[in-house]
Amino acid sequence: MNVSRRFVLLGTASAVAMGVATTPRPLYAALKVGEDGESKKLLTQMVRMVYPHDQFPDGCYERTADAIVAAANKSIGKAVMFKQGMASLQSASFGDLDEAAATKYLKGIEDTAFFQLVRGTAVVALYDDHEVWEILGYEGASFDQGGYINRGFNDLDWLPDPRITES
Amino acid sequence: MSTIANDEAAVVIVGSGAGGGTMAFELTKAGIPCVLLEAGPHLKAEDYVNDEWESFGQMAWLDARTTSGSWRVSKDFPGLPAWLVKAVGGTTTHWAGATPRFLDYEFKARSTYGEIDGATLLDWPISLDDMAPYYDAAEKAIGSTHVHGRPPLPANNNYKVFANGAERVGYKRYATGPYGTNAEPYDGRPGSIQDGFNFQGDKNKSKWSTLVREIPRAVETGLCDLRPESHVVKITHDASGKVDAVLYVDKDGNLNRQAASVVCVAGNSIETARLLLLSDSNQFPNGLANSSDQVGRNYMRHLTGSMYAWFDKPVKMFRGETMAGIIKDEVQNDPSRGFVGGYYMETLALGPAFLAAFIEPGGWGRDFTRMMDAYSNMAGMWIVGEDMPQATNRITLSDTARDQWDLPVANVHFDDHPNDIAMRTYAYEKAEALYEAVGAVGTHRTPPYPSTHNLGTCRMSENAEDGVVNKWGQAHDVPNLFVSDGAVMTTGAAANPTLTIVALAIRQAEYLAGELKSGNL
Repeated sequence: MNVSRRFVLLGTASAVAMGVATTPRPLYAALKVGEDGESKKLLTQMVRMVYPHDQFPDGCYERTADAIVAAANKSIGKAVMFKQGMASLQSASFGDLDEAAATKYLKGIEDTAFFQLVRGTAVVALYDDHEVWEILGYEGASFDQGGYINRGFNDLDWLPDPRITES
Repeated sequence: MSTIANDEAAVVIVGSGAGGGTMAFELTKAGIPCVLLEAGPHLKAEDYVNDEWESFGQMAWLDARTTSGSWRVSKDFPGLPAWLVKAVGGTTTHWAGATPRFLDYEFKARSTYGEIDGATLLDWPISLDDMAPYYDAAEKAIGSTHVHGRPPLPANNNYKVFANGAERVGYKRYATGPYGTNAEPYDGRPGSIQDGFNFQGDKNKSKWSTLVREIPRAVETGLCDLRPESHVVKITHDASGKVDAVLYVDKDGNLNRQAASVVCVAGNSIETARLLLLSDSNQFPNGLANSSDQVGRNYMRHLTGSMYAWFDKPVKMFRGETMAGIIKDEVQNDPSRGFVGGYYMETLALGPAFLAAFIEPGGWGRDFTRMMDAYSNMAGMWIVGEDMPQATNRITLSDTARDQWDLPVANVHFDDHPNDIAMRTYAYEKAEALYEAVGAVGTHRTPPYPSTHNLGTCRMSENAEDGVVNKWGQAHDVPNLFVSDGAVMTTGAAANPTLTIVALAIRQAEYLAGELKSGNL
């Protein structure tokens, strides 16, 4: 076999490999849990019931749900557990429960790994959300604005000014 | 910066925090060359970020650890027994800054409190009188407010609530310090701009740390070889039983050997004890300097707890210094309160991100979100008091868990002593009364955070069988091995420990320099 013949074969093999890689309908696809619209909606509702704040818009809870889905897909074990937890929510028609009923349901599952994954991720993601900070009245980074030395570090005016030394 | 060859036997300091950083400065000032090995990176003020979780990821010591015991941290944060910094400057990078001294009776805990069931109380082999000149030196180094002519910090919002409450319940000894942040420019560093980020490293450099003071000055002498990202994994010794080198992993994951004439271990109580236990040998089968079986025991973490209170008017506790208020009235030994020893109350503020994680770990539902909704109107304080040393509160090497270097991790075992529980309950009640006196509409008892004050584990003792080091922090078993951090504390006292760690290090460095010059080591 001469050199040019081998080159042609290699070229053909490459083309075939690329063709396989770009086939639009693979026989098997990695399963990502919780990413479909229905699951997202249900999970968002669950987060709202775990951390119910009347003044938080849906966006805060949706971003938190995204963080939970990402955490759930970090390992196969978590993904399997999460998928089952979501299926249980669905079969309990969790999305249709009012707050009292939803809280009661969650109380019943609070020791499960599923609840712990949702709550443990949510408590970090939700309260690290800058829109949440703004609603709660927290002002975030301050060094780049000169701190609060001239921006109200001592603006509390409903109590008298106390002494600052022992006597 | 000086370069010291790996085969040149130098004074080797393990850890660059309050103890290690101070040792490096004091020894090089006295003309003694030092190798300063720090496990973490050389972060600087410009690297710090005003963001709680991002900063935590940047600087917290996140190497694997395990926990056991009945303390709540073991349930809520099983892999995070302590909240410490892994960076040049160590935990002085994120310390809050309170600098009270230990009191006279706190150096004599066993004599003062008597025999307490289950506690391994011991008097320190040194007294407040021995420490007084070193406390002076440490306060001047740190630039503590309220002492040596340093002005007090102004009252911030959180302090206004705290101090008014203190006044109304009859406390007398409240103030905005002593505190290790400049109110006015001092020692080449500016006054505080009240930016509210202390636990994330102070970008303004107003707060003292060994990163901004001792380490650069040690390097300037030309005698200090600072090596960041150098994690010591073993101390070795010669046939006579004196230490002769340390083995450390560098930033590329390679194992190095640094010859040593003296080793000063200052890795914070958990890692200091772990390193001695990892440094076992045929001659020291239970770990280096551990003939007493005391290495790792008597681990203390201070009684702690927090009280958050909310009002019907704004507070905005996050504006201004994180901790700039202290009440000293409860620091006394008055057993009629139902416990021995005492506690301080100190202002403390967290952002919503950390508050959510720590105010009621595991909490959820309306009871939880009601507190978070009150964030703007919330004030907070920390309770820090003396906890009882116990032989079974202990750092051991894990039988199962291994770190990134395939070495056994530290397991931190802790159970509260009944005295700790009695003091915490009493302190919560007093804190509630204080906030209710200024109109609190709600209060919450927050359990202890992962430990920031890690003490004991290599305690100082008069008799070799009772502890690990002598009154100079020198190992009873190994004359050229020193422990230079809070691990040496015989008992914990009520005070935040950093000032005392710095004072002990200044005193130890003076002794060590003298011994080296006399050829005694």
